[in-house]
Amino acid sequence: MSVIATKELSKEYQSRTFSKEKILALNNFTFEVNEGEIFGILGPNGAGKTTLIKILLGITFRTKGNVQIFGKEIDDTSYKFQTGYLPENHRFPSYLTGEQALAFYGKLGGMNSVDVKKKTDEYLRIVDMDSWRKTKIKKYSKGMLQRLGLAQALMNDPKLVFLDEPTDGVDPIGRKQIRDLLTRLRESGKTIFLNSHLLSEVELICDRVAILNKGGLVASGSVEELTSVADSYRFSVSAIADDLMQPLLNTYKAVIKGPNEFTYKAGTAEELNGLIDFLRQKKAMILQIEKEKNTLENMFINLIGSQD
Amino acid sequence: MIFLTLMFSVFREAVAKKIFLGFFAIATLIILFFLLLVNVDSVEGMVNMMEATGEEGVKQLVMGFQVGMITISYFLVITFCFIAVSSFIPSMLEKGNVDILLSKPVSRTNIILAKFLGGVLLIFLSLTYLIGGVWLILSVKSGFWHFPFLYSIPWLTFSFAVVYALIILIGVTTQSTILSIIVSMFLVFVICPVLFVRETVIFSFITNSTMQFVINFFYYILPKLNDINKIIEEIIMGTAVSSYMPAVSSSLFMLAALLLSIFYFRRKDY
Repeated sequence: MSVIATKELSKEYQSRTFSKEKILALNNFTFEVNEGEIFGILGPNGAGKTTLIKILLGITFRTKGNVQIFGKEIDDTSYKFQTGYLPENHRFPSYLTGEQALAFYGKLGGMNSVDVKKKTDEYLRIVDMDSWRKTKIKKYSKGMLQRLGLAQALMNDPKLVFLDEPTDGVDPIGRKQIRDLLTRLRESGKTIFLNSHLLSEVELICDRVAILNKGGLVASGSVEELTSVADSYRFSVSAIADDLMQPLLNTYKAVIKGPNEFTYKAGTAEELNGLIDFLRQKKAMILQIEKEKNTLENMFINLIGSQD
Repeated sequence: MIFLTLMFSVFREAVAKKIFLGFFAIATLIILFFLLLVNVDSVEGMVNMMEATGEEGVKQLVMGFQVGMITISYFLVITFCFIAVSSFIPSMLEKGNVDILLSKPVSRTNIILAKFLGGVLLIFLSLTYLIGGVWLILSVKSGFWHFPFLYSIPWLTFSFAVVYALIILIGVTTQSTILSIIVSMFLVFVICPVLFVRETVIFSFITNSTMQFVINFFYYILPKLNDINKIIEEIIMGTAVSSYMPAVSSSLFMLAALLLSIFYFRRKDY
């Protein structure tokens, strides 16, 4: 079931007040997010990622297109009882303490006082901020604010959580804790919409990813699909003997990667099997064949670079 | 529940920014000043003298004190409260803060209304303490329990609400605290007093009928705080209120400012 579904979603901004010049922040963006998955949204600065999240939450208004959350148009704001949001560079009223901030935002999320108390205790513990609960927010570090922000986004036990750079300013151990928390949330059936610049992090936890550039969707799919290099296979053999080397280079146009490794681009399954037959015929011991993979970062840089 | 949470967040902000404390301190000083004043020999003598001239004399003295008190309260409300509340909307609209607020299941109309009502209630309670305190002192001392003086609490709160609606409009459209203060001060200290004396003073200098029409036009569309003060004085002195038109037109101004704020806020991208 789709938790989020957009169709030809567009957003135009005026470049300046009273200016007729328009900036297209989103251009006919169509995508879906399924229930219970961690969906990552990637793109360079100004690609339209934050605009997309803000439209989904009714903070910014779309110029055209349709948006449905939990199967309903977002003009009906009741869906916000089931969503949580951690914005990038969020700012809580600095005069509140950690627990006061959670209580305030929990009540704004429609929670009653009993649940607020229970969830405040629970989430302050989960984000490791229990000992700072009575301290004024103005004394918090960036990482602590981020943890509190995450607790705020989860307070009302939302089915759908939007996280904009959730690990920004958090130390590596904290990042690991947040990743683990997000994984646990997914296991409990929650859907997470994640915007992060840390591609390695996205690669680690996201089920599916969409890549935006200049307001348009340039790629989407599972991390596996996006990082696999089309038709390229990495072979490990016991050794590349001399009688193998020449045919591999000249006939099969393989790329030698080491004394016992090479990659081969097979257009069809027959071509791949042809090479395997050749290696067996030459008595080469095949240790491993795997579809060649790229890192998400390399894929991202190549994709965006080719567009610019 | 959500609406009340937002409304009372104004109180929390006022307490945190020491607005409540500041008003409480100033109000307490004024109350103490009145307490001392009614006990000094010269005033005590004046009260005794008035008592000798009959009940009417005491009443006139008390009502005179109360009218003086309204002038003090009016300027206190203006100089202190407007500065204090003018940051409420711009701070709410700060990037990162407004995003979280708008992601919650609360309508934008209710956000504006809750901030407005929260601010008005805050000032109402503050004025109740100040005016109620002074009324109690004067009543106990003179034995003349003049209840119409207490009507000045809702009237002064109304004066505040009219300008607060304008502050909200400026805050929503410009997100500038300073501009909110400047415009509201200019309105209260320059525009309103000048328009108040337009017939008695200004029109003796400006005889051109077109200019007079323009000045009258602004008089009728803008808030009439000095006229409202006159209404309060008339109520305290027990004379017939000459006209409620200033209250009606100021109410319309307040309503228009609030509706414009809501209209703008409901359409603005953050």
